Amino acid sequence: MSSGTSKRLDGRTAIVTGAGQGVGEGMARRLAAEGANVVIAARRSDTGEPVAQAIRDLGGSALCIETNVSLRESVAACVTQTVEHFGGLEIMVHNAFRGGLPHRLEDADLDRHWKHMSRTGVWAVMFCGQAAYPHLQAAGERGRFILITSPSGIEGSANIPLYSPAKAAERAMAKSLAREWGPEGITVNCIAPVAASPALINAFAQSPALQAAIEARTPLGRVGDIEADIGSVALFLASDDSSYVTGQTIVCDGGSFLGL
Amino acid sequence: MPRVGTIEVTIDGIGRLADDLRASSMTAECATTIVVAEISAEPIRFTDLTDDDFDAAWEQPMRHAIVSFQAAHRAGHQRIIAIVPTIAMSGAPRLAHVAATAEAIRLLVKSAARQWGADGITVNCIAVSPSLFGISPEAVGAVSLAPPALASAGSLANDIIPLIALLAGAGAHHLTGSTLTADGGVWMAP
Repeated sequence: MSSGTSKRLDGRTAIVTGAGQGVGEGMARRLAAEGANVVIAARRSDTGEPVAQAIRDLGGSALCIETNVSLRESVAACVTQTVEHFGGLEIMVHNAFRGGLPHRLEDADLDRHWKHMSRTGVWAVMFCGQAAYPHLQAAGERGRFILITSPSGIEGSANIPLYSPAKAAERAMAKSLAREWGPEGITVNCIAPVAASPALINAFAQSPALQAAIEARTPLGRVGDIEADIGSVALFLASDDSSYVTGQTIVCDGGSFLGL
Repeated sequence: MPRVGTIEVTIDGIGRLADDLRASSMTAECATTIVVAEISAEPIRFTDLTDDDFDAAWEQPMRHAIVSFQAAHRAGHQRIIAIVPTIAMSGAPRLAHVAATAEAIRLLVKSAARQWGADGITVNCIAVSPSLFGISPEAVGAVSLAPPALASAGSLANDIIPLIALLAGAGAHHLTGSTLTADGGVWMAP
């Protein structure tokens, strides 16, 4: 628990990919509010820098680094720059993801519907994990690798069928890495959120019935907040409070998926 | 080998398990495609994985699996069955690249089941002992505090093919999106 002026992540550094908006932004804000130096790893600085500035305006520590997670060298450069700037890296959060266009599976085109999801979702787990590993290893029991997956990666999707395999792969990699890196004290976990990201808000604007349907099937009766709801779970997984939790997926969706 | 029906079963995949299935000359009651996950059995430390390793273990097998599902749909098959190792669910150290592919195919099954159910197509998965894919028990390590419920990891002929016959039968018309775990009671999590 926090006491006095000490915060749960004081002195630690986190990279959050895809933090220029949505769930990534919410997690970055929450981690920064608890004292972490946060790197906003965004594909474009025109989305990432305002998030970093907003954190700094609140007294936090943040740096925006343009990062394309689908490129190994870009991720490696982000990690190198982070360590040079802040002196270390304890928490790597891979959230960035591109894709998710609705499609029929029988008509899906591998380049249009699969390539970007595979690259930004699954390949990027390898790029982020490999680049961060030496620093997470140095951090020992404070080392954290957090992946953002989806309830669709557990139950499948009728609307975006190829989204589910990409997100499921991330969960399987998290379990494997939890077992591989556990002896070094590094924990690896997933969050499967449903939150009011820009994409979902846009979908609601186009289809108000969708929002009503999601809220109706959610026991808590609302869509999650990117910072208060999802960011708080990320904070738990990033903090010492979760030091004995690894290889798990926390489904943070108001209770709409109860399958685990 | 079971000749429950008269329709030849299409086997899609490479490797010994797929070859052994082809050699069984299975027939079934329903037009069926079996997609055997193309699994690399070689453990590699995560930090040592190269882009070529990952392309071979993840990207190409996934692309092949998606195309195989599409071909089965195009052929009008009523049953699609994927076979994966249980490390899809358990994960395994130094096998993150393999577990990713296996679990992704298991979820491809669920998505396909959701979309194609209205077409009268059922899509299911059988998760088998990793040893049937050539992955040693030592590589997988312990995945439960409890010992295996059954003594054997299972054999294709005695333990897996009968399950395929079940899923490929007319009686399985209301079973879709499921995973039958047939590893002798090693992995019992949901």
